Amino acid sequence: MDGRIDAVAPAPLQNDETVLLPERIGELTGLDGFGVGGELLAAFLAAFLVGNLMLAMTGVAGPWAKRKITAAFTDRIAVNRLGPAGLFIIVADAVRLLSKELVIPENADRPAYDLAPIVVASSALLGFAVIPMGSGIHLADPEVGLAFVFAVAGIASIGLVMAGYASSNKYSLLGGLRAVAQNVAYEIPLVITGLSVVIFAGSLQMSTIVEAQAETLVDLGVVTIPAWYALVNPFAFVLFLLANFAEVGRNPFDTPEAPTEIVAGYQTEYSSVYFVLIYLGEFLHIFLGGAIIATIFLGGPAGPGPAELGIVWFLIKIWAVFLLTQWLRSAVPRVRIDQLIEIGWKGLLVLSFANLILTAVIVGLIA
Amino acid sequence: MSEPHQPEPVDLDPKYDNRREGGVDEAQLEALLEEYALRREDHENAPAFVVRPDDVQAVLTLLRDEAGFDHLSCLTAQQYEDRYESLYHLTKYDERTHEVTLIVQLPLDEPVCESAEPVFRTADWHEREAFDLVGIDYEGHPDPRRILLPESWQGHPLSLDYDQQKPQIIRYSEHANPLQQDHHDPETDTMLLNIGPHHPATHGVLHLKTTLDGETVADVDPDVGYLHRCEEQMCQSGEYRHQIIPYADRWDYTANLPNEWAVARAIEDLADLEVPEYAQILRTMSTELARMLGHFLALGTFALDVYGDFTAIFQYAFRDREVVQDILEDLTGQRMMFYYFRLGGVAWDLPRPREEFIEKTRDFLDELPAKVDEYHDLLTGNEIFQVRTIDTGVIEPDVAKSYGCTGPVARASGIDYDLRRDDPYGYYEHLDWDVVTRDGCDNYARVLTRMQEVEESAKIVEQCLDLLEDWPEDERTVQSNVPRTLKPDAGAETYRAVEIAKGELGIYIRSDGSNSPARFKIRSPCFHNLSVLPEMAEGEYVADLIASLGSLDIVLGSVDR
Repeated sequence: MDGRIDAVAPAPLQNDETVLLPERIGELTGLDGFGVGGELLAAFLAAFLVGNLMLAMTGVAGPWAKRKITAAFTDRIAVNRLGPAGLFIIVADAVRLLSKELVIPENADRPAYDLAPIVVASSALLGFAVIPMGSGIHLADPEVGLAFVFAVAGIASIGLVMAGYASSNKYSLLGGLRAVAQNVAYEIPLVITGLSVVIFAGSLQMSTIVEAQAETLVDLGVVTIPAWYALVNPFAFVLFLLANFAEVGRNPFDTPEAPTEIVAGYQTEYSSVYFVLIYLGEFLHIFLGGAIIATIFLGGPAGPGPAELGIVWFLIKIWAVFLLTQWLRSAVPRVRIDQLIEIGWKGLLVLSFANLILTAVIVGLIA
Repeated sequence: MSEPHQPEPVDLDPKYDNRREGGVDEAQLEALLEEYALRREDHENAPAFVVRPDDVQAVLTLLRDEAGFDHLSCLTAQQYEDRYESLYHLTKYDERTHEVTLIVQLPLDEPVCESAEPVFRTADWHEREAFDLVGIDYEGHPDPRRILLPESWQGHPLSLDYDQQKPQIIRYSEHANPLQQDHHDPETDTMLLNIGPHHPATHGVLHLKTTLDGETVADVDPDVGYLHRCEEQMCQSGEYRHQIIPYADRWDYTANLPNEWAVARAIEDLADLEVPEYAQILRTMSTELARMLGHFLALGTFALDVYGDFTAIFQYAFRDREVVQDILEDLTGQRMMFYYFRLGGVAWDLPRPREEFIEKTRDFLDELPAKVDEYHDLLTGNEIFQVRTIDTGVIEPDVAKSYGCTGPVARASGIDYDLRRDDPYGYYEHLDWDVVTRDGCDNYARVLTRMQEVEESAKIVEQCLDLLEDWPEDERTVQSNVPRTLKPDAGAETYRAVEIAKGELGIYIRSDGSNSPARFKIRSPCFHNLSVLPEMAEGEYVADLIASLGSLDIVLGSVDR
C-alpha cells in the first residue's frame, strides 16, 4: 500500500489497461465503426446484459434462495415440489405475482404512487453501472465512481417517501417517514466510512480502489494475503456493514417495513407488478450493498485462479453479504425506531468520524 | 341479617376438590358490613351479602381497605323473573380462600346500579359487558358503551324478555361509519390509527383504536367482541352432564385442558361430586402438559412480535409444542379440542401400553432443560431483545391488582398469586413445585415468568408420572359414580376458579333445579389482562404497544367468549 493522497491531482479519466464492457461489445460486434450511434448501441447492449444479470440474480434470490436459506436457519424444508430443489417455483411465482390484480387505493396520489416503485428499483440498478465485476464486466469507470454509487443508491429514499406518502395509508406514511429518518441517519456514517477507503486508495475511482487492494498485505510463503481493506481496516469494514444493513433496511434495522408493527410500511398498498418492482428494488439494494462492500472492502473480483474467474468470485462475495442479511433476519430482533436513530446518530456517526480521522492520521504518518 | 349462621363444611373427604379450610372470618365480615348488609344469601363458595344499589362503592371500598379484599375477581349480571341482580365476587390476592360475594338486587323496571369503576378499574369492562348482555345500567360509569356486541345491536341477549327469533334488522344509515373517526382532526396533532381488526400482530381478531402523537401512543382503546360466540348462552342451554365441558375447549384454545377443569370444578361443587385421587393425578398431569402448550405458543408468538418474522424461535417453540401435542393426543385422542375431563374424573386412563406413554413423556421432560437453555441462548440472552423488552410495557403491582390481572401477567409484576397453591384443587398441594414470581413488571419479566413456569410444569408432570407408574392396578378409578342426570338444588349458586395458562378462569353457575344452568358466567383471565393494555402502552412507542400486547398473551377466543 503506498498511501498516496492524490485525489486532488488530475487523474487519468480511465486506467489504460481497463477495457470496459461497452467498448468490448463494440469491438466484438463491430458497432464501434458506426461512430456515436454505434457506441450508444453497444453501451445499451452492455447495460442490458448487466441489468439482466442482476435481475436474474434477484429472481433467484427472491422466490427461491431466500426461502431456502431462511428455512435452513429455522429447521424447515421450504419449496421442494416444483423442479429440482424447488427451483421452478421461480417461474410459478413470476406468473403468480404478475397475474395478480393491481389494486390502487382510491385516494392514491397518482403520478407519485406509480413512480415510486420504478424509482426504488431503478436507483439500485443504476448503481451497478460503475461496479467492476471482473471478467471484463464493467460498464463505466468515472473518476467519481464511489460518490456516484452512493448518490444513486440514495435516490431510493425519495422513492420510499413517495410510496409512503402517495399510498394514502397511515401505515405507509409511518413506514415512509421511518425510511427517510433511517436513511438520513445511516447514509452519513456509510459515506464517511467509505471515505476512509478513499484515503487508503487515494481515489474515488472504482478500478483504482480495486487495484490498490491487489497489493500484498502479508506474504506467508505458501499464500499471500492481499491488502483487502476489510483486512487492513476491519473496524471500518464492520462499521460499513452495519450502516449498510440500516441503509437497505434489513434486520435488525428493518423498522421501515416492520411487519407486525406497521403491517408492511411503505409497501402496504402495493400489489401485483408494483409490489414486484418494490420487492425487486429491495433485493437489488441488498445486492448493490453487497457489490459496494465487495468492491471497496473485499478486493472486488479478486480471488484465486485466473482473472477470467473474476465475476464468479465477485458474485460469491455479493451472495455472502446476502446470506449474512438472511442470517441476521433469522436470528436478530428488530430495534425500535428511536433506538435505531440513536444508534445511528450517537453511535455509528461518532465511530465513523473517529475511524476517518484515525485512518487519515495513520496514512499520513506512513506516507 | 336475620338468617342463622351457616356452619362451614370442614370435614369433607380430602379428595374433594371444593373444600374451604380457613375461609374468611364471617363474624368479622358481618360486623364490618352491618351498616350496609340487608341480609345474607350465601353461595356454595362464599358468604354473600345483599346490599343496596347506591352503596356499591362504599361497601367495595370498605371491603378493600378494611378487610383486604383487593381482588374483584368477577362481576356477574343476571335477570330473574322479578328482578335483576349484579353480583360482585371478591377475594384477596394474599388469601385466595377468603371470598365474599356482594349481591345487588335491582327492580325490573329500572335496573340502575352504582358503578364500581372508581374502586376497581376492572369493573369498567365488566359493567359494560353486564349492560351489553343483560341490560343493567351502571350509574357513573365513565364509558357506558356496549363491549362485545356491535353498537347497533337491539336488545340484551341474556335478559329474559329477549326474543332470539327476532332478526336484527338495522338500516345501513343507522350503522356507525367505522371510518368516520379515521379522518384527521385539524384541532390536534394526533392521528387515529386502526390497528386491526386485520393486522399481523393482533393474535386473532382484535381492533385497537390507537391515537398516535408521532410514533408515540397517546391513547389506545381495545375494541373486542369480534369472536363473540355466545358461549355463556350456549353453556346455559347445554346439560350439565356432558354438554358444557366441550365448550370450555373453545375459550382458551391454545391451552385447552385447564379450561375444562374450571367448568368441572364449578359443576362438581354445585352437584357435590367427588373426584377419585387417581383421576386427580391424571387431571393434574394433563393440565400441566396443556399449560406448556400455551406457554410455548406464547413464547413463539411473542418472539414473532418482537422479531417481526417467523424466526428460529417460533419454529423451536412449535417443535417443542408438537411433542407435547403428540403426548396429549396419545392420552386424549385429540390434538386441540381434547374433552378429556368428565364430571367426577377424566374420560379414561393412560393409553396402553402404559410404559410406552410414560417413557415417551419422560423423554420429553429429560430433553426439556437443554431446550430451555436453547431459548435462553437465542432469545432472552440477546442484547437487542433485552433492549426492546426491559422496562417496556410496565404494569405496576397496584395497577395489576386494580385491573384484576392474574396468571403470569400478575406474577411478573411481583404478585404472588397462583390458584393452584392458594386455592388448592387437584393434586397440586401434594407435589413439590414453586410459584414463579418476578419483580420486573415489564415485557421481559413476563417472558421469563412463562419460561420458568414451563420448567415448574415439567416438575409437576414428572412427579405425576412417578405416582401413576406405581399406582396399584386395582385402584385406578378414573371416574366416580356420577348420576346420569344432574339436577343441582334450585337456587344453588357458586363461583369457582382454576389457574389456566393465562390466569384465573372463574365460572359462576346458578342452578334453577333443572339439568341446565340458569346462569353461566365465564370470568376470562384474558379479558382482564387485555383491559390493562392502555395503562401499559400510553406514552410508549407503537412498537412497544405491539410487544406489550404480545406479552399479555391474550387469546381472543377467551376474551370474547
